[in-house]
Amino acid sequence: MDRKNILKWLKEPGKMGHKYSLWAVYFCTGCGIIEVPPTITSQWDAERFGVIPVATPRQANLFMITGYVSVKTLKAIIRTYEQMPEPKYTVAFGSCPINGGMYWDSYNTIKHIDKYIPIDGWIAGCMPRPEAIFIGVTKLWMMIDKGAATGYIRYRKNYKFYRRNQEKLFGKLPWPPLYPVDEKENKNG
Amino acid sequence: MVIKIIEFIFSPFLAFIIGVLFLGLFRKIVARIHQRYGPPIIQPLLDVIKLFHQKGFSHGALFDLGLILSLAGSIVVILFIPFGGICPLKSSGGLLVILYTMLFLPLGIALSGGEGANPNISIGISRKLILSLGYEVPFLLILLSTMSFYRTISIVDIVNSQKNFHWTLFSPLFLSGIAYFMILPAMLGMRPFDIVSAPQEISSGPAVEYGGKYLGLFHIQHSFSIFIMIALFVDLFLGGGENIFYFFLKMLTIFFIMVLIHSVFPRLRLEQALRYLWKWPTIFAFLGVIISKVVR
Repeated sequence: MDRKNILKWLKEPGKMGHKYSLWAVYFCTGCGIIEVPPTITSQWDAERFGVIPVATPRQANLFMITGYVSVKTLKAIIRTYEQMPEPKYTVAFGSCPINGGMYWDSYNTIKHIDKYIPIDGWIAGCMPRPEAIFIGVTKLWMMIDKGAATGYIRYRKNYKFYRRNQEKLFGKLPWPPLYPVDEKENKNG
Repeated sequence: MVIKIIEFIFSPFLAFIIGVLFLGLFRKIVARIHQRYGPPIIQPLLDVIKLFHQKGFSHGALFDLGLILSLAGSIVVILFIPFGGICPLKSSGGLLVILYTMLFLPLGIALSGGEGANPNISIGISRKLILSLGYEVPFLLILLSTMSFYRTISIVDIVNSQKNFHWTLFSPLFLSGIAYFMILPAMLGMRPFDIVSAPQEISSGPAVEYGGKYLGLFHIQHSFSIFIMIALFVDLFLGGGENIFYFFLKMLTIFFIMVLIHSVFPRLRLEQALRYLWKWPTIFAFLGVIISKVVR
């Protein structure tokens, strides 16, 4: 909290509120979650920036995808992401969600998370240190300030793209696909 | 007349400010005990501002109405509580009205949460109602002892008869005061008794399906309930206050001790909490009733 920001608070209370009270959903996908407990406890205190973990997606507006994402975890990630109230921000954490990392040729993990859900920011590294999380959070503040963190709007706009990718990945579904892939498209790739 | 209207608007607003400030202090003190820097004191206010700008999900008509019932109940209780010379509704039977209206606080949340249809909510609500059953028994005995000690059911008269440091806590009725102090963490939902909103066990209990502005209203209700529980203790046992400042100082002292207790003790199980609440506070409160009969 800065005293210079008071005018900004009076002008756009909503935006400043989203900025200074990011509540992260406590969801572990891979090994990256091991960096989160030191971040939120005494050593690097994340609560001084207003970042706290909450136990349920309904209350959260920050989603950190920590570590590799297997196909089975992706289903839970999508369900969690769609339950969060808008505006919501996602940050991919570690090198595995960016390009597969050391699981590049694995049969059961995905390589590019932004094909399936929209991502606002990336934190590279294997593992990124807790300081990198804070740099990521401050970058996210800048993006919210400029109005560039629009992942949730992109998800609504390009829902067909994301949904088709998800259904293509999951293969056999217990329900008919919402946007079925026709033969021509299948041949092309 | 104009002063009366200003009091009606001013007192819930002041209660909200004090409750939110207490929530912020709570997070700051706990952070300092953990040797962290901690969030800014106005952080809960920022959270509430954020929550009101978020998109919320409603789960039906009762989901909204139960929350409003709980909020309205807490505002009515605040209008009956005298703090620092201000009491918008000076009725002759204030304590009984407070006693009955305080039931709306857990009941409204239970009604509202039940509409959410989440298994965690039903577990949390059953815990909340059982816990309130636990602390209601000593609480009723404590109120009975104070009412029969001062021979009145008006809370304003009780505050007035404690003037010039004739506090109830230093009268023969001190056992009831100790009993109230022992059940206060359970009434506030703090650590030895935070069974209801256990984030690690049941994903923060009744609040699990609340998001956006509904969670904001939930937080406001929580800050109101913190104000009510501590203000009642200050009014009944610490002699109220000559002005708002002294009243606030007394509330702050009690809250600080509660936070220290919160940050040291682990969480009890439900049946352990119930066994504790029906044993020591009830015995002390019962002794208080007997003393109030013998002395007068």
